[in-house]
Order: sequence, then structure tokens, then C-alpha cells
Amino acid sequence: MADPSVAPRRSLFTKYFCALFAAAVAPLLIASGSEAWFGYHDQRARLNDLLDAEARLAAVKIQDFIEGIRDQLGWTLQLPWSEDSVERRRLDALGLLRQAPAVISLSLVDAAGKERLFVSRIGLNRINRGADLAGTPAVMGARAAGTWFGPVTFRYGSEPFMTIAVAGNRSAVGVAVAEVNLKFIWEEISGIRVGRTGEAFVLDRPGRLVAHPDISLVLRADEAATRPLRALRDAIFLTGLGQAATGQDLAGKTVLAALAQIPGVDWSVIVEQPLAEAFRPIYAALWRTAALLVAGAVLAAVLAYWLTQRMVGPIRLLEDGVARIGAGQLDHRISLGTGDEFERLATRFNAMADELSVSQERSERISRLKRFLAPQVAELVDRIGDDRVLDGRRVEVVVVFCDLRGFTAFSAGAEPETVIGVLREYYDTLQEVVSEHEATLISFHGDGVMVLLNAPVSCSDPALRAVTMARDMQARVQKLLVGWRTLDPRLGFGVGVAMGPATVGRIGSGGRLDYTAIGNVVNLASRLSASAADSETLIDREAAHAIGTHIPLVQLPSRSLKGFDRPVPVFVPVARSSTDTDPSLPAGAEPFYRPAMF
Amino acid sequence: MRRRDVIALAGGAASSIVPARAQALPVIGYLGSESPERYSSRLKAFSEGLAAAGYVEGRTVEIDFRWADGRYNRLPALANELADRHPYVIVAPGGAEVALAAKAATAAIPIVFEMGGDPVALGLVSSLSRPGGNLTGVTSLSVEVSRKRLEFMCEVRPGFKLFAVALNPASPTSAAQLKNLQVAAETLGVELVVLKASTVQEFESLFTGAQQANAGGLVFTSDPYFAFRSPQLGALAVRHAVPAITQSRDFPLAGGLMSYGGDFNQSHRHTGLYAGRILHGEKPADLPVQRVTKVELFINQKAADALGLAFPPSLLASADRVIE
Repeated sequence: MADPSVAPRRSLFTKYFCALFAAAVAPLLIASGSEAWFGYHDQRARLNDLLDAEARLAAVKIQDFIEGIRDQLGWTLQLPWSEDSVERRRLDALGLLRQAPAVISLSLVDAAGKERLFVSRIGLNRINRGADLAGTPAVMGARAAGTWFGPVTFRYGSEPFMTIAVAGNRSAVGVAVAEVNLKFIWEEISGIRVGRTGEAFVLDRPGRLVAHPDISLVLRADEAATRPLRALRDAIFLTGLGQAATGQDLAGKTVLAALAQIPGVDWSVIVEQPLAEAFRPIYAALWRTAALLVAGAVLAAVLAYWLTQRMVGPIRLLEDGVARIGAGQLDHRISLGTGDEFERLATRFNAMADELSVSQERSERISRLKRFLAPQVAELVDRIGDDRVLDGRRVEVVVVFCDLRGFTAFSAGAEPETVIGVLREYYDTLQEVVSEHEATLISFHGDGVMVLLNAPVSCSDPALRAVTMARDMQARVQKLLVGWRTLDPRLGFGVGVAMGPATVGRIGSGGRLDYTAIGNVVNLASRLSASAADSETLIDREAAHAIGTHIPLVQLPSRSLKGFDRPVPVFVPVARSSTDTDPSLPAGAEPFYRPAMF
Repeated sequence: MRRRDVIALAGGAASSIVPARAQALPVIGYLGSESPERYSSRLKAFSEGLAAAGYVEGRTVEIDFRWADGRYNRLPALANELADRHPYVIVAPGGAEVALAAKAATAAIPIVFEMGGDPVALGLVSSLSRPGGNLTGVTSLSVEVSRKRLEFMCEVRPGFKLFAVALNPASPTSAAQLKNLQVAAETLGVELVVLKASTVQEFESLFTGAQQANAGGLVFTSDPYFAFRSPQLGALAVRHAVPAITQSRDFPLAGGLMSYGGDFNQSHRHTGLYAGRILHGEKPADLPVQRVTKVELFINQKAADALGLAFPPSLLASADRVIE
């Protein structure tokens, strides 16, 4: 069987600990969780906006680059062609080459579609070559739409070039056709940094890489190698413009990317940032939150442990104290200085232990008293709750002695079992009678029994009560004697009753304590009993006086008793059947009436 | 590939990294055709490019230099010497001679060249976008624009029909340039006198030759040997009062009339960047050859005044810088 003092304690500890811990950690968890969730969504929205803005900005920059060249070309197309305007236009064109480093060469075409001027950084300049360019896509495109952007071509299989053709506001001013080295976009695109490693790149409509911070990727002109970038572009188109999408970059890293389109050339500018970097602030926040959560949990655990200990500790002390008190260690006191309800409870327990201790002491005392007090008396003492009635004092008592005649001889001859059997019956009977009359059985000495009245508990008419009791004793014992006489015909029963002052109280020491009476009256009662014949009850004068006429008594001749100088007057009750012809009246007896002295 | 990882890590941490053990530093073999003094501005641009890739000489990378001091015939021996030391990458800047010497020395060690001219035509790489072998690098437009120099000279000296061309016969690109110039001369309707010089001692004869031929001006072909000696050429041009144009801006800065050519700072910077990227573990075969597109025209107004010449408006409009 499990020790009941251990299992519940642990469960209480666990319960309180868990409850307190949960109370502290659950709000933390909820707060952290919601913070992380909202943080993630906010960051995602922020990144979306950021990347979108960066993509637009990059698109604007590249558009500016292209439109800058277009505007420069427009400057060369102001006046209609005439023979003398060639030199001025040549200066304009050379100035343009200096202003726009990306323009490698420039052709100016007149209204008829003839090349009038060609200037180049690398090749020789040509004036009035007159080649017919009217049918070229550049001239046709520019004439149709004002501005024409050629497809991206990779010169020597490496450098990206594009032709830009611009027509003047009227056909007479002709068309300017420029070869533009797109490597120069690198300066625009490499300046774009999103976060630490985020970057931008440009794809033309078929998806070829036009610009990338790593110029060698562009110069490689490898369409297979840049397939992931096209996949990224398609992913963004699927998500929808203005929305960032996730995909893979060239290194296989997952990136978040947004796209903006450049009108006219129909290029896509894509701005990407590695996902790990983009969400680093969130991860950092998550780590911080996790660290705080752990710290909070540890703190909560420590607090919960401490609080639980504070609660369970006193409970254990109380339990231990109650167990000890329950086990009878009534002097145990629970010492608790918590200043709260536990201390009050401990004080209550201590008070209870005090009371228990007092009550136990009393019940011990009473059970001790019951050995020589009649149960009624014992209960009386119990009820009063004060055994000072047993203290030594001098009081008027009635002492009743009785013993069996011829018992010594009988006990010497009879079997021990028989003797013990007889004594048991004898004692049981006497005890019954004594109890009935609320007298106090002081002692058994072999066949002799001493009974006290009016002490330790005082009663009314002790003498009368004593004589009535003595008569009952006689009646009951005489019945027993009828049977016993078959064992020994000499057996008989005599009683002596005396009244007078005596010292009463507890005497003895250590484990042996008796209540008794000391005084002449005790000797007298004892002598009277010894002097009484079988079925005779001898009463002294004091008792007889106290009885008065309540019971008819007759005075016998005074007897000389051992220890008494003068003969002692002796009275016997008259048999109730008939006072006149009482055969039992002993010889020389005189009927006793109220003495003349009263 | 452990070493490469370490290098990549060091490069990633850029210049803030604590220097590793001296033996752990990757080594760049640097093959120079001239002396460190002549290369100083190019070395500066090179280390800028290297720093942009995350490497700093002495801290995260070591550079093992070999200098030919202008004796280009020593380049193959120096290139072999470098290759024997097995550097991580060989940088061969300063012309086709250097690149060809490096290519001959090793087919395994990555090489980054810096030159003018067409590396495909010279057989250095199979294509610009996919170099394919252990070489990649940077080319400038200097060689291609030789004809433009003749055009500019014609504009400055509109009355002349004869021009002198200075050629270094030792240069691998000299034949191509001469052909290019002759086609241009035909287009422009002028005659050419070809003067040759491949040593400093022959420089003076270029200017006296041009004067004796009564040429309108002296047009220098693109050649590193000439380019590195721009100050001497400039002084000679002033002394002999010959209108001349070379590829290097150092020439007009030293008193010469004009220059038209690629920007060395840009090309050497890109060389450093490519060397750094190869140190990071990229393969030269995957790195496209870069063409430096910037071509700059410098004109010296003071020299023109001294020569009693006037720049036409078209040149003044096109010039990136006018030295006054």
C-alpha cells in the first residue's frame, strides 16, 4: 500500500506548479506567437512594397537612360537638311557622342532616307555617303512611331547592343539612328542594392539578360544559364505585377523578387533579395522572442516553484504536525511564521493539540479514577472536569466494610479456581450494589471490601444510603451464599458501617495511586465488620444517629473492639419482614429508636 | 579545393579579415613588361580592382612580380619562371606580348590578360563570351581605333595628303593595325609613310623621318612599348615640333599634341577585378573577355599653339579633355 503521506503531496505540488507555470507562460506564448505571426505578415507586406518600389525605381532609371539617349538624338533633328547644315550637324553629332558615352555610332538620315552623316567612336566618320537606309527597320519604325527601339543584339556574341532610331517632328528633319552599347546600363543597375545582397537585373522581351550587376553574366550571352531568371520573371507574372514572388536565383538561392516593366523597349526590371536576408529581421525578432520566451518560462518556473514551495511547505509542516499529533505526540507544536492563513491554521492546530492534550490528560485521570470510583461518581468528576474533589481534605464520611466469614479457611481448603470463581462472583455483585448506590469502592483485600460515601463526591444522607446499600449487599450476598455453602457451610457475610470525620484523598506515588480515607471511622467500620456475624450489619452510633427513624434499628450491647478503649455501642437494622417476632434478632438486642439525645 | 574555400571565405570577409598565416595567402603572379615605375598608375588601378573583389596585397593576397624592364624578349622566360612557382593566377597586363608569353608558359594556371586588340584573332581565347581555356581578360579598343587617330590628324592638318605612321614591328598587332590604317587612308584619300621603331634609340628617327617625308603629322599605332614611353615621345615631339597623336593620354600631358585610345585605368581595374574573381574560385573559361568601351580623346592646346596649329571645332567638341 502506497504511503498516503507522500503521493498526494507530490500531486498537489505538481498541480500548483503546473497551474502557476501555465498561468505565466500561456500569455507569453500567445503574445509571442501573435507577434511572430503579425511580424511575418508585416515584414512580407513591407518587403513587397520595398521590392516593388525598388523595381519601379530601377525601371525609371533605365527608362531615363534610354530616354536620355532618345532626347539627345532629338537634339540633332531640329532643322531640315540643306547642304550647309551638314557641318553644324556633324558638330552636334560629335557633341552627342561626348555627352552620351553609350552611343557608339550615330547615323543621320535625311527626308529621302539617305544617310547624310555617320559618326563613330571606333570607325571612320562619313559625310554624305548617300546610302539608302529608307528601307531599314530602324528608319521605317522611327517614321511610323516617332521612336523605334531595335532588338537587343550581342555583338561578337558578347556585348549587348541596341539600335535606337528617332524621327523628327516632320519628315524634312530626317531620322537619327544610334547604336547604343547596353553595357552602360550596368552603371544604373549595379547601383541598385536591396538590403545587403539584393540586386536588380534586366531581361528583354525574349528573356535575354540585358543588364546584371555581374556584367560577365551579360557578356556571356548564355541563354541556357539565365533560364532561372526567366523562370523568376514568369513566376512574378503569375503572381501579378506589383506583388513580390518567390523563386530561385542563379545560385539556386530562394529569393523574393518584384518586377517593373519599362515601356517602349518592353524590358522587365526584376529586383530580388534572398529570402533568408529579407526575413532576417523577422528571424532575429523570432530568436529574440524565443530567447525572451525561454527566459520568461525559466522565470515563471522559478516563481511557480517558489510559490508552490511556499504553499506546499507549510502544508507539509501542517500535515506532518497533524500526523504527529494524531499519533499521540500531543506536545508537538507546528511552528509556522508565514504571516498568512497558514500561520492562522497552524495556530488553530496548536490550540487543538493543546485542547486534545488537556482532554487526554483528563480522560486518563478519569479512567484512573474509575478504578476506585463508582461509574456515576467517575462520570460526575468527568462532568465537573475537575479532579480537585480528589484532593486531600477532612470530611464527614460513612465507611462501609464487609467481608466473608470463614473465607480464610475456605480458601485454604478449596481449589484456587474455585476460590477465584467465588471471589469474582462476590466482587461483581458488590460492585453492582456499590454502583447502584453511588458509593465509592475504595479497595478489595481478599474477601474484604471497603466502600466510602460522601467522598470524594458528597451526597445527601450518606448514612442512610450506606445502610440501605449494606442491606442490599446482605440480600444479594446471602443469595450467593446459599450456593457457596455447598462448597463450605461455614461461609458467611458480615458488614460494618461507621460514620465520622476522616482524611480523604489520593495517596501513593509514581504509577500507583489510590484514593482512600484515613481516620478512626475507617478502623471502626473495619472492626465492626470483623465483629459482625454472618448476615449481620453492624452500625456505629454516629451512623445510627444520622439515620434516625428512616430505618428501624436496634441497639445491641456495646462491644469491646480491638483498638478501642471503651466498649462501642452497636446497632443493627431490624429485619423488614416483622420487627416484633424477628427470629434473627440477636439475643439481648434492644429495638433502637431515635435516641433521646436528639 | 580547401584552399579555394579559405580564399573565398577571406574574400567574403573583405578587408576586415585578420591576415592568415603567410603560407596560407594565395599568390598572384604578376608579369610586367616594363618597370614598376612605368606601371605605377596601372598598378594602382589594378589594386583598386583587386580590392573591389575583396583582396588586399600583403593582407589577403600576395603578389609575385616579374618585370621585363622593357626587354620584351625576356617575357617568355619570366612567364616560365612565374609558372614554375605555381601561383594561383597569373596576371599578364600591358599588351599582347605579355599575354602571349603567359599563355605559352602554362595551360593550367589561370591567366588574366590586359591588352589592346582582338584576343580571338591573336589565338588567346576561342570567343569573347566563352574564353574556353585558362585565359580571360580585358581588351581595350586602342588597337581598333588606330584609324581614328589618322582621321583626327587629317582634321587637324586638312591641307596635307601625306602622313607618317609609327609602327613597332615587334608588336603582334602591328600588321593588323597597318592594314587597318591603310584602308582608312584610302577612305580618307591620304598617303602613308610607315616609320618603324622597336627601341628607344629608334624613337628620334620617327620624328626626323616624319619631318623629312614632309608628312602632315605622325600617327602612332597602338603599342604598349610606345604607350609606356609617352613622356619620352612627348619630349621628342616638342623638340622636333612634329604634330603627333598616340594612344596614351600621357603623351599630350607630356607636351604631345593629341591622344586617342582606351582608358588604362579602367582596363587595369577590370584586370584586378577578374584576378580577384578567379581567386574567389571562378573559372577563367566562364569569365567573358571584357572590352573596355571607353575611348578618350585628349588634345593639347598649348602644343597646338606652339606648332602654330588650330584645332577645328569638331575636335574641340569631341575632346574629352583640352589641355590649356
